[in-house]
Amino acid sequence: MFRTFLSLRYLKARKTNWIGMAGILVAVGALVLILSIMAGFLEESRRTLRGNLADLVIQPSFQSSVLQENGDWVPMQTDVERMLEIIREDPGVAAATPQLQWYGIFAPDGGESALEKPMQDAIQLIELVGIDVEGEGEATDFRESLETEFGKKPGLGKHCNVGRPADLDDPFVNLREIRQRRTRPKVPILVGEQLAYLWGLRRGQEVSLVTATYDENSSKLNETAANARFQVVGSFRSKDNETDSRRIYMDRRALADFLQRDRLWSAVLVKLNDYKRDKDAVRARLWSKLHAEGFLSAPGIRINEFRTWEDFRATLLAAIQNEKALMGIMLSLVLVVAGFTVFALLSMMVTEKRRDIGILCALGATPRGVLALFLMIGLWEAVIGSAFGALVGVLGAYNIDAIERKLSSTFGFQIFNRDIYLFDYIPAEVSVSGVAWIVGGAVFSTLLFAAIPAWRASRLDPVEALRHE
Amino acid sequence: MTLPSDGPIPTGSLPGGPIPGSTVPSGQLRTEPVLACAGVRRSFPVGERRLEILHGINLELRAGERLALMGTSGAGKTTLLHILGLLDRPTEGSVYVAGQDAWSLSARRRANLRNEKIGFVFQFYHLLPELSALENAVLPAMIKLSRRAFRSNRAEFLDRATTMLTRFGLADRLGHRPSQLSGGEQQRIAIARALLLDPPILIADEPTGNLDRGTGEKVLEILLDEQSERGVALMLVTHDERLAKRCERVLYMEDGLIQADSSAPIPT
Repeated sequence: MFRTFLSLRYLKARKTNWIGMAGILVAVGALVLILSIMAGFLEESRRTLRGNLADLVIQPSFQSSVLQENGDWVPMQTDVERMLEIIREDPGVAAATPQLQWYGIFAPDGGESALEKPMQDAIQLIELVGIDVEGEGEATDFRESLETEFGKKPGLGKHCNVGRPADLDDPFVNLREIRQRRTRPKVPILVGEQLAYLWGLRRGQEVSLVTATYDENSSKLNETAANARFQVVGSFRSKDNETDSRRIYMDRRALADFLQRDRLWSAVLVKLNDYKRDKDAVRARLWSKLHAEGFLSAPGIRINEFRTWEDFRATLLAAIQNEKALMGIMLSLVLVVAGFTVFALLSMMVTEKRRDIGILCALGATPRGVLALFLMIGLWEAVIGSAFGALVGVLGAYNIDAIERKLSSTFGFQIFNRDIYLFDYIPAEVSVSGVAWIVGGAVFSTLLFAAIPAWRASRLDPVEALRHE
Repeated sequence: MTLPSDGPIPTGSLPGGPIPGSTVPSGQLRTEPVLACAGVRRSFPVGERRLEILHGINLELRAGERLALMGTSGAGKTTLLHILGLLDRPTEGSVYVAGQDAWSLSARRRANLRNEKIGFVFQFYHLLPELSALENAVLPAMIKLSRRAFRSNRAEFLDRATTMLTRFGLADRLGHRPSQLSGGEQQRIAIARALLLDPPILIADEPTGNLDRGTGEKVLEILLDEQSERGVALMLVTHDERLAKRCERVLYMEDGLIQADSSAPIPT
């Protein structure tokens, strides 16, 4: 009984113990807060990084034939309608749409000059994406990206000069004033908002795209240069900055025409009913089905043929995850410092309380009881400190955006620069198990640090201790 | 009549009963000794040599007996007291508390023995400064009992301590911290603490040594009254002849040996 009673009494009576408790509070609070913010960043980044990527992306390698399980080689199928049929049959699939993807060089002020300055950022590799507007809207966030508000222009704060397309159901329409000219109508394209900033594009401006094509039908490996004039008819803003600075959308047939090719697709984008739950199952199912039909190699042979959107962003996601882990490790050091404080304070206390320890022994306390008494002081410090720390951390995480705004306006400088990130608030996500781990770790490490002085106290010779004045 | 103090008695012949060959003071009932030691030696390492403080002490204390231990400073009185109080381990020899060889027990059982059988009163009171008078007085019960057991008997122990402190004239001091109390008051709390669990043995190390004469007298009255009322065996270390005269038996220690027992004429 005396252990609980005395440990609480010592804790209350000796204010220095509160320093240890405060240290644990700060450490646990910081850990909970920072890790919640990092988790929020990770979650928000996942949403952002997804951009206009579909849940699943199938990009066949288009070899001449596919090796089946029974050892037969079957010619590789390229009939996209049949492929879409197979995919749409799957109960986990919500929508699927074909895409034609290619790369080119963007040359807004005439094709020639674009290639003359290779060392400057005048040359930019562009993703040319040919889409079916309706299907793309169903399978990806394409439609939302046409509706999203303008982001601020980096640095200058001006808005993009290329507006969103007027008709979202039919965005690839030449603008009236151009159509009235005598020249042949240019292919309408939608450019990413960042790309429009970068090149100072205007609505209706004509631009050139230069690319190389590969003639499949030729017996020789024949690469042909192609360039054509396009008209900027609108802009889009996906959640991903990079996509916005390098992607151009146009009609799938128009792109195939530009590339002068027969095959009108290079990838199929699939949207699932429940991505988190079904992604692996649907992928496995579709992969083997499409393989059996001769569309893809055997599952796992060419991993690039069938990817989830996360596979595309694996490095970035892993980097944020890694950053979170590093932050955890660094902040755990604060916990170690707090543990040292508890160690120092308890050691001081054991020295100061030598006489009391002697008295307790004289009154019949066992060495183990004395050990438990001092361990308990550490335990209370850990439990109270980490409980309040967790509370502070959780409250801070939930209100971090308001707190940051308040601090920024008070001190007159911006702590969180909202222009750098794609989200204009500080995200935070509190995980109950995460908080429990932090609190558990704090209690454990504090007890470990408290154990040394507690053990010393239990080894004191009561006669020596009683003599201590 | 003297105790055979000029040599250790083989501990093997001491199963916990009265020490063979030792005598009981006249007029005393032949009861089992509540506290006894046989052949106790205690030495401390000093550099490479060992300094022997106690050279073989045999002693018996019977229930209700009031014994004063006198002697010059450095004679080994306090060391003997610590050994009899189970705070210090003898280098040689045995200590019997209520018939049990204390140092053959586990640390836990020895601590229990100390808790239940021995009450301590120190010269410097030794109260815990963070606790109130009442809390200091019930501390032995807190040490003895588990949390649950203490909680169910809390009222009883508080009542017992309050009654005792009230009897000692501290009724309006129950909530005071030791630092708010005088030496005499502190020592009375220490006596209440020592008697809380009704131990058969009370060990007092110069209980009035730190008090002025008047206060010392009052504290001593309380101590001796309680002792005779409860039939506790009291072992008292003192330098005060007048105090020693109020004890039935006086032992003189010198150079780590008991040189005289009051049953024999006190040397003048």
